Amino acid sequence: MSGAQDPADSPLAIQGLTVSYGERLALLGVDFVTPPGQLSAIVGPNGAGKSTLLKAALGIQPRVAGDLLVRGRPLPRPPRHIAYVPQRSSIDWDFPATALDVVLMGLYGGLRWWQPTRHRHRHWARECLARVGMEAFAERQIGRLSGGQQQRIFLARALAQEAELLLLDEPFAGVDAATERAIVELFRTFKAQGGSVLCVHHDLATLGDYFDHLLLLDVEVVADGPVAEAFTAANLQQAYGGRLTAAQLARLLPVSEASRP
Amino acid sequence: MMEAWLAALTFSAGYNTRLVTLGSLLLGAAAGMVGSHVLLRKRALISDAVSHATLPGLAAAFILIALMQGDGRWLPGLLLGAAASAALGLVAVQAMSRHTRLGEDSAIGAVLSVFFGLGVVLLTVIQAMPVGGQAGLSGYLVGATAGMLASEAWLIGGMALGLLVALIILHRPLLLLCFDPEHAWTQGVHLQRADAWLLGLLLAVTVVGLRITGLILIVALTIIPPVTARFWTDRPHALVMIAAATGALAGYLGVTLSSVHPRLPTGALVVLAAFVLFLVSLLAAPRRGLLARLIDRYRFVQRVHCRQGLLALARDEAIFDPTTLRILHRLGHIRRDGLATAQGRAAARDAHHEERLWTYYRHAYPEEAARLGTHRLDPISRLLPPDLIDELERRLPPEKPHE
Repeated sequence: MSGAQDPADSPLAIQGLTVSYGERLALLGVDFVTPPGQLSAIVGPNGAGKSTLLKAALGIQPRVAGDLLVRGRPLPRPPRHIAYVPQRSSIDWDFPATALDVVLMGLYGGLRWWQPTRHRHRHWARECLARVGMEAFAERQIGRLSGGQQQRIFLARALAQEAELLLLDEPFAGVDAATERAIVELFRTFKAQGGSVLCVHHDLATLGDYFDHLLLLDVEVVADGPVAEAFTAANLQQAYGGRLTAAQLARLLPVSEASRP
Repeated sequence: MMEAWLAALTFSAGYNTRLVTLGSLLLGAAAGMVGSHVLLRKRALISDAVSHATLPGLAAAFILIALMQGDGRWLPGLLLGAAASAALGLVAVQAMSRHTRLGEDSAIGAVLSVFFGLGVVLLTVIQAMPVGGQAGLSGYLVGATAGMLASEAWLIGGMALGLLVALIILHRPLLLLCFDPEHAWTQGVHLQRADAWLLGLLLAVTVVGLRITGLILIVALTIIPPVTARFWTDRPHALVMIAAATGALAGYLGVTLSSVHPRLPTGALVVLAAFVLFLVSLLAAPRRGLLARLIDRYRFVQRVHCRQGLLALARDEAIFDPTTLRILHRLGHIRRDGLATAQGRAAARDAHHEERLWTYYRHAYPEEAARLGTHRLDPISRLLPPDLIDELERRLPPEKPHE
């Protein structure tokens, strides 16, 4: 079921992670080694703890127990080699900032207070905007952008950080097809350059096309492995509590898979 | 009176007045900067709790100092007392909102009134005490720079300068915190510490401003400048800078005006100056002020008529609306007799094509189109990224011929 991944190579290895909100368990004993240089998806029903996993991995969400490792060493605070793209809904879009301002914020972590934002920073920020197709919108106020455009801006901000691991929370939710294609293209380029992606994904139908590795989560780990191995009817039924009908399974999986017990 | 004011404005009305004016300039800038971050962090109401919670500490410190030296007016001690009780008030608000079911605004209201009430009680106790300096206490409520000592002005000016330096050092972490706290964490901003710094700076600005604007009105000096600045810019750094400049200007104008006569209430004049600046910005700011918006509205109506007129031309429909006809004629799209010119036909073709693109976009991505709805009449190349426009062009269904 689980590939024996070596934490020594992984940009993010999670061991025994347990998170609770008060008395409610969000994650229990989660072990996951992010495969380096691959596109991995976290999939599960509502309340499975997918967003919580990302936040706890970054230290945003305090955890009850668990270790976080980068190539075998403890995760530094803040983890500068990881770029985080949160869910779009958590942002106040009335904030006075242009698209360029938001991308520049991705560089702040590396700047000391006496270092002003130089021309080369702005130039790099514009390049990141260009890589997501938004260079024409650099001076646009973020509140005046559509959902897909806002998602691209967030991606540009993550790219500006020159991280080796991208952590994304449902980046494809509510975006237009062109943006979806742009994001997938970006993932592929990122992977070709040696980066890794770990992404909470909401759409089972596109899982096999976009990702190499799958983590099926429902408070605990249900399945963890390459998509070809882990994406089975049995695992899906277990994760989604038997809520998926045979018809839905048939649509999601290749025919031979769906008929497998 | 005008001569006296002009003398104060040009820093030639005496050493004390110069110092006080400089101090209030710095205080106004610091208040504007802190207020911007507090406003962006959406915690503007807490400034009120902080300022009202200074009163009991202020009064208690006065009593202590008066008992020790006969006259309660020793600024450092009074400011320390004010800071201590304001800090206690902040802790009370945090504790109440975290450990009870009260929201933060209820906690603020409770703390604000209880602390202020306690302070008022202590004030009456002070009035009954056989010590000196009680009359000056009302100056801490509404601000009174008349009779301020040079040493006091130095203290206030120095503290305000220190605050400005701290704000400049912290400006990036605070900005990250205000916009996206989770992302801020990944950039190394410790959220609780940054929040604590922000509140601490707010507390410091409140305490420093006690003598100049008084505790009741310092809130206004932290809130009005950033709101004013919002009319001039959409960018976060510019907002903070303009708020600082507005606050400084308000402090400068208010204090110099109040120096003309010893009984003029400084705080009220500073706040009124800030309000005048706000009003001017509201009306006259380019693009975001009222006047600019009215002009934009007028232009928008023109564009609607033009667009609809061009679409009618493209479809060979008759135009009946006189306003539309007038506008099209003025733009050179139609001749006097209502026939389209070459320019008009070209413009009509463009408008028709854009309309088809937009209709298809709305059909394919209804949520996105709804979001951009208010900019419906902007050229589509300004609204959507180029690759999306390419895709729309490719997938555009063939035009149905007219019946």
